[in-house]
Amino acid sequence: MLQLTDVTAYYGDFRAVRDVNLIVPPQQVTALIGPSGCGKSTMLRSINRMHETIPGATITGSIMLDGVNIYADNIDAVRVRRAIGMVFQKPNPFPTMSIRENVASGLRLAGTLAKSEIEGVVEHSLKQAALWEEVKEKLDQPGTSLSGGQQQRLCIARAIAVKPAVLLMDEPCSALDPIATLKIEELIRSLREEYTIVIVTHNMQQASRVSDSTAFFTMGDDRAGYLVEHGETRQIFTAPKESLTEGYIAGRFG
Amino acid sequence: MKVSGLLLERLSPQEQRRLRTDRLMALFLRTCAGIAVLPVVALTVYVALRGIPALSPTFFLNSPADTEPGILNAILGSLQLTAVAILFTGPIGIAAGVYLSEYASRRVSSAGTMMIDVLLGTPSIIAGLVVFLVAVPFLGFSAWAGVLALSVLMLPVVMRTTQEVIRLVPIGVREASLALGVPVWKTTLYITCRTALSGLLTGLVLAISRGLGETAPLLLTARGTSAMNLFDFGTTINAMPMAVYEYSNTSSALLKEQAWGTALVLLVIALTLNVLVRSRTINSRVA
Repeated sequence: MLQLTDVTAYYGDFRAVRDVNLIVPPQQVTALIGPSGCGKSTMLRSINRMHETIPGATITGSIMLDGVNIYADNIDAVRVRRAIGMVFQKPNPFPTMSIRENVASGLRLAGTLAKSEIEGVVEHSLKQAALWEEVKEKLDQPGTSLSGGQQQRLCIARAIAVKPAVLLMDEPCSALDPIATLKIEELIRSLREEYTIVIVTHNMQQASRVSDSTAFFTMGDDRAGYLVEHGETRQIFTAPKESLTEGYIAGRFG
Repeated sequence: MKVSGLLLERLSPQEQRRLRTDRLMALFLRTCAGIAVLPVVALTVYVALRGIPALSPTFFLNSPADTEPGILNAILGSLQLTAVAILFTGPIGIAAGVYLSEYASRRVSSAGTMMIDVLLGTPSIIAGLVVFLVAVPFLGFSAWAGVLALSVLMLPVVMRTTQEVIRLVPIGVREASLALGVPVWKTTLYITCRTALSGLLTGLVLAISRGLGETAPLLLTARGTSAMNLFDFGTTINAMPMAVYEYSNTSSALLKEQAWGTALVLLVIALTLNVLVRSRTINSRVA
């Protein structure tokens, strides 16, 4: 279970998003929605400590994963990222690797699995990512030879191959066509049983289709983003408590 | 009705003038391009014409000291010098280039880039002079000194090319690796460098190309010799560019012809390496 307490994220001196208090329920899909620039992606990247890979970027506050503060001094960021995986907006399969090598890359480079077991995990991950049938005959083809939607599913397979506890998805469908988008949304719903998923999306309808709980962010006058409201998806979209939330849902801004 | 009328109308005097200027411009540019290419073509043809008569089996298999002299010791000397130099400058240059583009802060990175620029622009004879003054007293006129001089000139080539191709690796590829929980050093080595591998090899080929062609620094360090030198780096060694220089200064017609032959061999090697580099650059995704 993931718990964010008083999290504020900075890019150098600039406060990008402030005072976020959020509980991400396990084995559910949580959507982060809100207008552009209000810090949703920054918040997401803070969860798997990718935020700090940008020079000068820091956060204050604590993020607890199953009771352990992932930002504690004695916690290795690399271990955090093995437990919390990420899928990016633009599909990014490794260009020099085949499909099989792509899925296995996390296991080979970050894990300690025996070679004989890796093949089984590759197949299982591709099946979970609903890509196995389409690529099982051409596993040695380069990962980049697939279409955009397939590449994104490949990236999902690669991310889940290392068996993370949490899967973060940063607008995974915004670079894809509607049909590929639908496939990925189905995939997200099916992955829910095994993983805790947090998805950032610009698309409100997608959030209402795919998620169990939703968190709405917006930008304050000080240009820092903040969390306005969060709760069960159905409640947020039919009976939001805050007027700002209602305004965004109704399309009045954003 | 109106548009087709516009299209079928005859050209006005303005438009005719414009068309003429267009054609003149194209002709002018084509002529300039021809003039620019002329020296290369002339050089290649002339060297080929003068050099081909010198080519023969003994030319390639004998040394200057044999009864029928050849340039084998120069060919082997060049290969040894360049091979050892790339053995040093390759790994060090790639590592330094990776450090400057991946790990260094912006200030260190720009300072380092400036230093590489200075090294790249250094006239080769100055590199040779520095090694002559600083190292030859300890190493003597030897292949080691020659390797040192060549390394000074080859290292910045490797570093610069490495910097450029590493920079071209898309940031998404790095982020994908980090997000999987791969440590930073493994990301750099197995992902970033692997993606840029083609470009890194290109850097090595460019450096080798430079090393094979340098004359001045070797004259001051490796000195040249008419004897065969195989793997004795403590003493003087011959190289092809030096052979060209020395033979063209003699009065012997045979040696002068051999100078042309050696020049032809060097030209062919340079052209081959260049074509190799260009074909890699055109076909691959990252330089």
